[in-house]
Amino acid sequence: MGKILRLSLFNLRKNKKEAAAIVFLTLVSTMMLGIFAINLSKVSNAFDESFAKSGSVDTFISFSENDYRDSYREILEEDYGFEDVRRGNMINGFSTGVLHDGEKIAYNLAFITESENQKIDDGNIIESMTEEQIEALDHWVILPSFFKYNLRYEIGDEFIPVVSGRQYPFTVAGFYNTGLSNESGMLFKIIISNEDYRLLTPVFQEYVFLAFNSDDDFNYRDYFTSCMDESGDSFEGYGFTKEEEKANETKFLNLFLYMSITLSLITFVASIFMVRNKIRSDIEDQMERIGVLEALGYKGKEISLSYVFEYVISSGIGGVIGGIIALAATPFMNNIISVMLGREVVSSAKVYMVLPVVIGVIGLILIFALTKAAMVKKFPPVVAFRRGIRTHNFKRNVLPLEKTGKNINRRLGFKDSIRNIRTGAGVGLCIFLAGTTLLFCMYTFVMFFNGSDGLVKLMGMEISDDVMTINEGVDPYALSEELQEMPEVRMTRVTDTSLSFRVDGQKEGTVFSYEEFTDMEYIVPMEGRYPEHDNEVMISLRRSRTYDLEVGDTIVIDNQGVKTSYIITGIVGAMSNNQMNLYMTLDGFQRANGSAVPNCVEIYLEDGVNREEFEDKLISIYGQSVDTAMSGDNADGTLEERIQAEASEKIAVLMSTYGVTSVDYAVRVGDQLITGNSRQFVMKELQSYHDLVKSQLDPISNITRLFTGAGAIAVGVIVAVILGIIASSNVKKRRKDLGIMKSLGYSSKDLMTQIAISIMPVTVVAVILASAASIIINKVFWFQIFGADIKTSIPVLILTDLALIAFTFVMTYIGAGKIRKISVNELMTE
Amino acid sequence: MGNSILRTEKLCKSFSNGGVQQHVIKNLDMEIREGDFTVIMGSSGSGKSTLLYALSGMDKPSMGKVIFDGTEIQDLSNDELAVFRRGNCGFVFQSIYLLENQTVLDNVLTGALIVQKNSPELVNKAKELLKKVGLNEEVWNKYPSQLSGGEAQRVGIVRAIINDPKILFADEPTGQLNSASSRDVLDIFTDIHKNGQSIVMVTHDLKTALRGTRVLYLRDGGVVGDYRMPNFCEDDIKERRNNLTSFLEDMGW
Repeated sequence: MGKILRLSLFNLRKNKKEAAAIVFLTLVSTMMLGIFAINLSKVSNAFDESFAKSGSVDTFISFSENDYRDSYREILEEDYGFEDVRRGNMINGFSTGVLHDGEKIAYNLAFITESENQKIDDGNIIESMTEEQIEALDHWVILPSFFKYNLRYEIGDEFIPVVSGRQYPFTVAGFYNTGLSNESGMLFKIIISNEDYRLLTPVFQEYVFLAFNSDDDFNYRDYFTSCMDESGDSFEGYGFTKEEEKANETKFLNLFLYMSITLSLITFVASIFMVRNKIRSDIEDQMERIGVLEALGYKGKEISLSYVFEYVISSGIGGVIGGIIALAATPFMNNIISVMLGREVVSSAKVYMVLPVVIGVIGLILIFALTKAAMVKKFPPVVAFRRGIRTHNFKRNVLPLEKTGKNINRRLGFKDSIRNIRTGAGVGLCIFLAGTTLLFCMYTFVMFFNGSDGLVKLMGMEISDDVMTINEGVDPYALSEELQEMPEVRMTRVTDTSLSFRVDGQKEGTVFSYEEFTDMEYIVPMEGRYPEHDNEVMISLRRSRTYDLEVGDTIVIDNQGVKTSYIITGIVGAMSNNQMNLYMTLDGFQRANGSAVPNCVEIYLEDGVNREEFEDKLISIYGQSVDTAMSGDNADGTLEERIQAEASEKIAVLMSTYGVTSVDYAVRVGDQLITGNSRQFVMKELQSYHDLVKSQLDPISNITRLFTGAGAIAVGVIVAVILGIIASSNVKKRRKDLGIMKSLGYSSKDLMTQIAISIMPVTVVAVILASAASIIINKVFWFQIFGADIKTSIPVLILTDLALIAFTFVMTYIGAGKIRKISVNELMTE
Repeated sequence: MGNSILRTEKLCKSFSNGGVQQHVIKNLDMEIREGDFTVIMGSSGSGKSTLLYALSGMDKPSMGKVIFDGTEIQDLSNDELAVFRRGNCGFVFQSIYLLENQTVLDNVLTGALIVQKNSPELVNKAKELLKKVGLNEEVWNKYPSQLSGGEAQRVGIVRAIINDPKILFADEPTGQLNSASSRDVLDIFTDIHKNGQSIVMVTHDLKTALRGTRVLYLRDGGVVGDYRMPNFCEDDIKERRNNLTSFLEDMGW
């Protein structure tokens, strides 16, 4: 055993660089597999631990205060049999802009008092000011943990919701662990003081919530249907369950961990093939030495074991170091998971978690090494001295040199490529696997290069700069034309509030309706055409594929039992609203919902227009919200201002309570005539979906960018190392031929070029196949995750492929640099 | 006598062996003339092959100059030397060193196409030269492992002369051949020389040396004897052998 080990160590010392490359490949493979395997279970556990710590019920549902009926609670208690159903109140501000560090980002916010929050969870504080400090503050908020871990808020920071241009400044007094509503895509539940709750009640809409522990079968959508059936009313409610919360919070992280494991496995397979290839070429290269050792009395088994040991030692070192790094990366990964989940993650990695990966990696290399090293036994000393029968070439002469074109190096490179077709196939497979991974990572990274901008285009809904919801009685078309006249405005579009309808008894879908679908920027049919008549509809790609619906098929929309059928005219890729969207004309929408009246104007701004300044302008012209004016909180300033504020309040009450649509007033104070009208209340609400979508998509785009960027770099390095090994083995194997060619006048550059060219045919084929594979994977990935169909740009594809081919060429060329060290003299005196 | 084509000035070549410097060539001044068939002889370890590699740009001298057709080649980089060798030098090796994976014709063309553009004329020239050294068409598509030693060396010679080098260098070209094959190969060298090719050959074999027109004898890293002979002719072989033997005996061979 000692002499076998000595032989292995001798080989390792002799081939230090190549041994280092094997160490690197196994290190990276073990590290990547280890890291992702360790953390896969952690994501789920971290959520569960955090949820348990919060003391949260597993479900809460909410209704606007006007929609709520006590009978709804009874349904839960009596029909569903749930105990301890707690009723409480909160105020919700959907798509509310929040100023923080000078940046305004929109979130869906729910404000709740401490006592009301106790009905949902324990309000488990993670970090906070002292009670004295909190008492000293005018307005404080306790934010959910997402703000601390993901959005990087700190205690003492300002948290300023902005509604209709008015700021409501709060100071962050602490963070708490919330079980439900800690997710940027849904709602953030924010604890405020009782006094601030009262102040904000006129600003936002008040909701009633019911909090309880449900069972696995509970479906709040079915429950809402039961409530509507029971009361005969129609309403829009919201539900939050632990399972949905967990799925929403963890799905992307899990997805990327699974994706990373897949990419790591692909990389590992490529590395394994490389090692296998290298063992074979090493044995072929060292045939004479094997002959000498056999002649000296070493048994074939001993020599083959020395090769096995050599690779097990290199891969063992790489595997163990990779495993250690995977363990050491735990705090870093904890941090990433914590940021992505927006929850505290404290867990230490145990050695047993990474041990199967390390053993698996080394074990696989051992198996490959044993299989390949067994070939030593086939060669008795005499055959080995002759370098085996393989060096005797009786193959047909492919690409004879007498037909050489302009470039002898190219010809010789191609000739070499065809001669070593078997090795080439292995190399091609490595490049295909690594290339697929690399291209997938690159495409995805490029898609997210500018943050969430790429994703926004796949939303399947129009993302205008501002959406103005108007009060009843206001003519949306006249307003739209008026807005269109403003120099800042590029385009306006009248639409209706989106509602969800059940379709064919299948999953409900949100309806986007427009008078006509012209100049659409985000809603673009990938198949068919836009709806033009009131009996036509476009559906989302996910709905099309899930329910096998095609253009020309008919669907039936069920609105409170009123069923209306539509013909499908087109399919749209859409990642918004459960990816089950419907698109129809306003007339078509009214067929399904007779009471619908267009009440929104989407506003698209010219390039370079400052949106906030424009919003201020809209507020100054079309006024503040009715709700804010009704609060009567405007009575400051001069007499004229106070009178105008008082008048506004009265008009707001008239409009809100009595449905008055138009008011004019005139007040004489001494000689002064103060006049006004209800025009300032045209606007009910002004929102920017752009900001909301951005705040929801940014975490997704960040994680995607992180994983695919890191993946692309890691795979790029691995490809470079693999190519380096290929080139280096090639030089070693062809040492004699290269020396001869040098003596004939071929420079090192010529020979390096030939080696790089020799892998080009397999590279080109592998890259083309990798492109096709990565396009398919991309399509599946985007559809499965985002319900969208992305089209790969052919120029981008060609450029990426060329870049990959060029990268392969350059890396192989550099890897073949060993040629420079072979002097002709060395060859002669070998 | 032809013009000087290659000369050395204070040429030195030493090797480091376990930290000890071994001076193989010492301050050597010599000259090779165009059209000469120069044979370098000497006892084992006298530096014959080392000198050949230094003269041909296969290796770099430790000190001194090698001036090849007016170009000082001692300071050229490895790649510059490779480019220099293309057009100026042809090599025939003792171990033959054909490319195992190339056919006979491709072996010849591999040497040619790095210097010349492919053309029917070039291919015909390669074929003609192969025919001239006795390798007919049926051999052209064979691989080196299918050839005898003599055949392989003849391919090596054709590969070396295909580019019409200024000097053909040969290092013990018959060292691995039997006597019949050796004679065939030497006849080829003689023919080539008669056609005006300058040749520098290293050998320790008297029969081989007889083919030369000049014999340089190396000892202790320097040329200690320079013997000239007329062009080779079978008719006066006896006298030629006696004279050369006498010279070599004087040199202590």
